[in-house]
Amino acid sequence: MSSGHPRRVVITGLGAVSCIGIGVAEFTASVREGKNGAAPITGFDTAGFPHVMACEVKDFDPGQLLEKLDIELWGRSSLFAAAAARLAVRDAGIDPELLSHTRTGSIMGTTAGESKVLQEVVNQWVERGMKDVDPRLAPMAPAGQIANAASSELSLTGDSQTIPTACSAGNMALAYGYDLVRTGEADFMLAGGADAVNRSCHAGFYRLGALAEKVCRPFDINRSGILTGEGGAVLLLEPLDHAVGRGAHIYAEVLGYGVNCDAKHMINPDAASIADCIRNAHRFAGVEARQIDYICAHGTGTPTNDATEVRAAREVFGDRLPPISSVKSMIGHTMGAASAFGAIACSKALEEGFLPPTANLEELDESLGPGLDVVPGKARPATLNVVQNQGFAFGGNNVITVFGRVA
Amino acid sequence: MTTTTVAVKPLAITGCGVVSPAGLGLAPLAEGLRAGHVTHADPAQDPLADYPPQPLWAVPEFSLADHLGRKGLRNVDRLTSFGLVACKLAMEEAGVVIGPADEADTGVVMATNTGSLHSCAAVARDTVVQEKPYMVHPGRFPNVVMNSCAGQIAIWNSLKGVNATLAGGQVSSLTAVRYARTAISQGRARRLLVGGVEELCPPAAWGWHLSNALIDEAPLGEGCAMFLVEDGEAVSASGRNALAELLACEVGYYRSATPSRTLAEGLTSCIERALVRSGVAPDEVDAVSLGATNHVGLERVEKRAVERVLQRPATELRIIDLLGECYSASGAMQIAVLLALWQQPAGRRRNALVTSVGDDGNVGCLVVREC
Repeated sequence: MSSGHPRRVVITGLGAVSCIGIGVAEFTASVREGKNGAAPITGFDTAGFPHVMACEVKDFDPGQLLEKLDIELWGRSSLFAAAAARLAVRDAGIDPELLSHTRTGSIMGTTAGESKVLQEVVNQWVERGMKDVDPRLAPMAPAGQIANAASSELSLTGDSQTIPTACSAGNMALAYGYDLVRTGEADFMLAGGADAVNRSCHAGFYRLGALAEKVCRPFDINRSGILTGEGGAVLLLEPLDHAVGRGAHIYAEVLGYGVNCDAKHMINPDAASIADCIRNAHRFAGVEARQIDYICAHGTGTPTNDATEVRAAREVFGDRLPPISSVKSMIGHTMGAASAFGAIACSKALEEGFLPPTANLEELDESLGPGLDVVPGKARPATLNVVQNQGFAFGGNNVITVFGRVA
Repeated sequence: MTTTTVAVKPLAITGCGVVSPAGLGLAPLAEGLRAGHVTHADPAQDPLADYPPQPLWAVPEFSLADHLGRKGLRNVDRLTSFGLVACKLAMEEAGVVIGPADEADTGVVMATNTGSLHSCAAVARDTVVQEKPYMVHPGRFPNVVMNSCAGQIAIWNSLKGVNATLAGGQVSSLTAVRYARTAISQGRARRLLVGGVEELCPPAAWGWHLSNALIDEAPLGEGCAMFLVEDGEAVSASGRNALAELLACEVGYYRSATPSRTLAEGLTSCIERALVRSGVAPDEVDAVSLGATNHVGLERVEKRAVERVLQRPATELRIIDLLGECYSASGAMQIAVLLALWQQPAGRRRNALVTSVGDDGNVGCLVVREC
């Protein structure tokens, strides 16, 4: 590991495969509009489920986006990751050959891994017994395939690492990719996350009482939970010097991140621990709380999350709470991709100068306290210099990334 | 343009906890090495599915309550129980009690490629076979997330530092070591429990069986090996003893149309880089702890790469012959077997390679040095 000065790392490519747009331009336009991507589920049979809405990528056509992968050999989560990685490389305007001939890899977060493949295995198991399950499914099932798909699509030979740390995994992946580039272990990294809407998550969140019936309404008095979502979100991480040298368009600089674990409860978030994570992120990023211009919230839309998250922010920011909004109001809870989508929204917000909105807000929950600006409805113009992006997870894994505008 | 030839800072292992088909701890593993075999338990019958016709080497039954007390175990699944016990053994061996002052900079880095496949499959199955598709067990639903084991370890031991779970197929445990080094060198944690966990259950066994990735008579194993690690210099500066040092760990992804050729080249490159960055010459390598034993095609790839770099036959440790195939926990078991072997002193500091190659295209090599 390099013992010299760590390198500055910037974001020069963005790839989004989401229910409100494929490609970063369409995704950003929809975010600015506060578009709601929820619709009745078509990815699995919802008979018997009381709630049937989710945020699926209905028009995902991997064959059209991918250049190299044989799409028959990879599950849906892997294809999301590979497609988003390919889009990020195109967006960066970087020579793909440069990536495949240097120490470049892919780090991908996920919650449920290849959940659609596993469900297919289970369906065949129930129908006809384990020994007659389609053998082609076995090599597609491991979670590790998600990063491998991106690495294969781009012919990368560096670290090919899936990080299955549930709902903050996108940030965990981004943080690890940043460390690898920063320390010189890698030349470039593609980092982000992917997940697919699936029966198990839909059923599980319903059973926990955390699934909204129709609309995800973070910070609203009538918020009732998440909608499950899916997609792939990937960012290209590049050393600042290299990006400047090739005249790359730079969206933002990764200033640092904070990571910790509640170590208290598998499911319930902990405000004091989140506040510690925010302080930790500021310290590693070398910024003060007063410099933060915007918080891209975990913002799941469950009564508990939003209250805990705002309480934690107040512990750190006091009365001067920065605007805080939830991308999940538009794309649902995309699980392992969620904080990577947050990072894309932050990158575009810094670049174009706007505050991403919280969609679907009807009545702000007053019990969340005074002075809370959740950017209701549509995006607002704003000059942003430093923003933070929050991800929390089952298992108590908190990861907060901090991004800055590169002048 | 990278600095990948820069020397790495060693991580010192101060404690080791093993849950394996040989039993609990390093002692039964060392005994197995001497005897050339261990006595294996059969897995408990699963009411939902039979196992495929393949040798099955399970962890002998143990009482989790004996190790952790009776409270709070209701929804802990079997995979997580391996992790909890392995971590407890590792901390006991190191003589470490995590106090309030240590909580924030002590964490967990766990390799597992699917988490508890048993728990995931049970929930997925319930959505199909229950009267209502949402009638999954709410207390067990959180077990489906792959970081459940690492999260439970944090809860049971109040470990508030970085808590990561790593999936990279067969090579997962080596990538966990690589992650741990980055986390410690970047000041993310001072002390980490790092290792891998895998569980024998019908869906996993059928996965191996149907994929034809292993030879027919390959035994399937399970278990967890965890190592308490810290910065090597910090451990020696404080006058404490370490069991071994983890030197460079290099990984890569080499999947293409002709896997046997490119995988061998990729692994060769990883071994070479790992040796250079560890400051260990090929002729200073005493043993190689192999990971691809019984893997169709890959066993040869691994041997060829090792021979190409060492330019001579090396002492081979085939952990899979003792414990069975442990998939993403293999690398951790390969490290554990070295620690078991080195319980017999040799009068010098021995060096060993831990190699790994997966048919997904991932390869890796870790250099381990005796203390």
